[in-house]
Amino acid sequence: MKALGKGSIASIVRVGLQIAWVVLWVLAGLLAIGAVAYGIVLALIANGAIDPALLSGGEGQIRVGDSGSFRVSYDERAGATWPVVVPAFLIGGVAIAGSLVIVWRLKKLFDSFSSGEPFRRENAQHLRAIWITMIAIEIARYALMGLTGALLAFYGDNVRANYSFSIDLSTWGSILILIVLAEVFREGARLKEEQELTI
Amino acid sequence: MAIRVTLDRILLDRRMSLTELSDKVGVTLANLSILKTGKAKAIRFSTLNALCRVLDCQPGELLSYEPSEDDAELERADAAAE
Repeated sequence: MKALGKGSIASIVRVGLQIAWVVLWVLAGLLAIGAVAYGIVLALIANGAIDPALLSGGEGQIRVGDSGSFRVSYDERAGATWPVVVPAFLIGGVAIAGSLVIVWRLKKLFDSFSSGEPFRRENAQHLRAIWITMIAIEIARYALMGLTGALLAFYGDNVRANYSFSIDLSTWGSILILIVLAEVFREGARLKEEQELTI
Repeated sequence: MAIRVTLDRILLDRRMSLTELSDKVGVTLANLSILKTGKAKAIRFSTLNALCRVLDCQPGELLSYEPSEDDAELERADAAAE
């Protein structure tokens, strides 16, 4: 089976990327709905409709209408308080937004591979955008981990948190490889243009 | 590029059109146009050979060197390196 052109491995990967693109948008939608729903819960707590104890773990009371109410128990201590949930939404948002950019750029790359023309100047730009996005996601991840730690230290009284810091060497390795590949594609595109202008 | 292709002058001397040259040399009209307008990056020996054969000229008559700003900069860089 050939690697480039129609009916190639590149075409199969292109279909996979299209599926990933749809899945990521679904996840983005779910995250947005979750964030809005959490905002509503916080507003209802401020309003007095929901017992704040619910988000801190244990048993809480939710009042429905003027007289009705029912009890809900939640057994993870402080697991749903804002110092835990807000950074989690931010980390999820950054990861999904970054993945959308990367998958979109990969889709463009594999469109070109499927058409059998890999050495285009745009492809070098797509690879460049991918490694820049990967760096941005990785740095944002460190920053948001730090933010989570700080929020838990100052506001997460009931949270038992374990703090650790890790650097994903495979991600940084992939970034370095992509930097080199972007330049390889730029040089390839230059040589192709030169070849096209050789009479 | 400091190298100029003087194809238009030779065609004028030979009273030959670009289409006629294209037919005789076996190079497309589009490629000959790229060569004539100075947009070409390189020329194959086989193309040069065919052009010289059909136009009955030497390679030097087809090409000329006119120093450009880039060449002046390169010369300055060479002098600085020495």
